[in-house]
Amino acid sequence: MEQSNLSSREPVLEVRDLRKDFTIHVIGRHVEALNGVNLTVGAGEHVALIGQSGAGKSTLLRCVWRSYRPTSGHVWLRQRDGAQIDLATADDREVADIRRQQIGYVGQFLRAEPRRSVLEVVARAGIRRGAHEDDATDQAVTALREVAIGEDLWGTSPVVLSGGEQQRINLAAGTLYPPHLLLLDEPVASLDAGNRQRVLERIGHLARDGVAVLSVFHDLEAVRQLATRVVALCDGNVVADGAPNEVLELVAS
Amino acid sequence: MSEWALHVEGLTKWYGSTLACRDVGFTVAAGEAIGIIGESGSGKSTALRCIAGDVRASSGRVLLQKEGGAIDLLELSDAERRGLRVDTLSIVFQDPSEGLDLRVTAGGNIAERLTAAGWRNFSAIRSRARDLLDRVDVPIDRMDDLVETFSGGMRQRVQLAKAVANEPSLLLLDEPTTGLDASVAAGVLDLIRSLLETTRVTAVVVSHDMSVISMLTSRAIVMHQGHVVEAGLTDQLFEDPQHAYTQQLVSAARG
Repeated sequence: MEQSNLSSREPVLEVRDLRKDFTIHVIGRHVEALNGVNLTVGAGEHVALIGQSGAGKSTLLRCVWRSYRPTSGHVWLRQRDGAQIDLATADDREVADIRRQQIGYVGQFLRAEPRRSVLEVVARAGIRRGAHEDDATDQAVTALREVAIGEDLWGTSPVVLSGGEQQRINLAAGTLYPPHLLLLDEPVASLDAGNRQRVLERIGHLARDGVAVLSVFHDLEAVRQLATRVVALCDGNVVADGAPNEVLELVAS
Repeated sequence: MSEWALHVEGLTKWYGSTLACRDVGFTVAAGEAIGIIGESGSGKSTALRCIAGDVRASSGRVLLQKEGGAIDLLELSDAERRGLRVDTLSIVFQDPSEGLDLRVTAGGNIAERLTAAGWRNFSAIRSRARDLLDRVDVPIDRMDDLVETFSGGMRQRVQLAKAVANEPSLLLLDEPTTGLDASVAAGVLDLIRSLLETTRVTAVVVSHDMSVISMLTSRAIVMHQGHVVEAGLTDQLFEDPQHAYTQQLVSAARG
C-alpha cells in the first residue's frame, strides 16, 4: 500500500482515553462526566453521538472544541496540512488559530453579534477562515438561500429573528467555507420539518465533500439519515460504536 | 502558530509595601485581542498602565515586536516612551478626559496626535481627521466643536479615533465602555469590535464586565488580588471555569 493512501486513512479526529471531571469549588461538588472515551472520525465520515441526556454527548463535543478543558487524555486533530496536534493540551493561542481556520462548531443557539446584519454575520464567518470579503459574501448568499433564509431578512439583525431562523443562520455561518472538522450540537432542534430537511441536506453534502462531522442530534431520524457511524454513550462511557442500524437497534432493544 | 506581537512576563508593581499586581504574564499574537478580567482592585488596570508606561513597573518585562526586533518597553527612556506613544502604542481610558483635551475641538485633538507623528500639511490633517471621525460615527459637522460639548459616548468615539489616528500596532483599552448607558456602550463596543477586526492591531482589553471581554477577545486572563488566577480561551473561561474565583465571577455575571 502506498504511503499517501496510508496517511489519507488516518482519522481527522482521534479521541483517546478522554476524561472530563468538573469541580464546583463553591459547593465542593465533583462530577465525572467522561470516563475515558475513545473514538475516531475520518474525513467524509459523519459520526453521531447518541445516549440519554447526561450521558456526556455535549461534554464530549465541547472538549473537542475546547470550550471545556479536558481533565486528561488526548484529542488528536490531523490538520489540513497533515500535522497532528493534541487539542487537549495545545496552547490556547494555537487552539484559537485552529478553531478559526479548521473547526466549525454549531450549537443550538446563535451567538449573534448585535448590530450586524444576517448577511454580515454569515460572511464574517468566511472572512475569519481567510476568505476575501467579496467571495465570502457570495458564499454567504448561497448558504442563506440553501437554508431558506429569504433575501428580505439579509439586512436585518439576527437578534430580532425567530429561534428557528437564528438556528439556520448559525448553521449557514458554521458551514461556510467548509471546515476540516465540523461539530454539531443539536443544530436542528427548533426547526420545522421543511427547514429541518434543508439543513440536514446541507450537512449531508459537507460530509460527502470530505468534511469530518461529529454530531449530537436529539431525533434519531436525523441520525439515520446522515450518520455513517454511531457511537452510543452512557454515563460518560462509550457503550457501542458501529454501523448506524446496528447501534440503533442495540440501543432500542 | 502565528508570531507573537506582545509578550509580558513577571510584571509586578508594588506601591510601597502594597502589592498592586504580581507576576502578570501573557503573550498576544499579531492582530489578536486578549482580555484581562477582574474586579476593581484586582490589579488589572495597574498592569495595563505598567505596559503603557504610565506607571513604572517594579519588575518584569514587556516585550513588543517591532521591525528590527523586540524591545522591552520597561527599559525605554522617557523620550523613547513618548515617541512610542505617538505611533506605536495607544491607550484608550475609561475617562475620555484622560485621553483627550476636552477644551479642544474633536478635529483639534486628532490633529495634535497627527502633528506629533510629523504631519504638517493642514488640508491633509483635516482630511485625515474627517475620515477618522467618520469611521467612528461622529457627525462631521461636530468636528470643530469643543469635545466638552459632546456626550459621554461621543467623547469615547473621539478618543478611539485619536487612538488609532497613527495606526498603532498595539492598542490598550482600559474599561472602554464602563460608565456609559447600556445602549451607548453597545454602540461603542461594536465600534471597537469592528476596529479590531478590520485592522491588524494587537489589543489588550481590560474590563470587569465579562460580556465586554467575551465580545472583543478570543483569549483572556483572570486577575484576583493582584495575581493571575486563570488563563484560557474566553468561551472556556465562561463555560468551564477552573479556578474558584473564576467560577464565582461567572456565576455572578449570569445572575
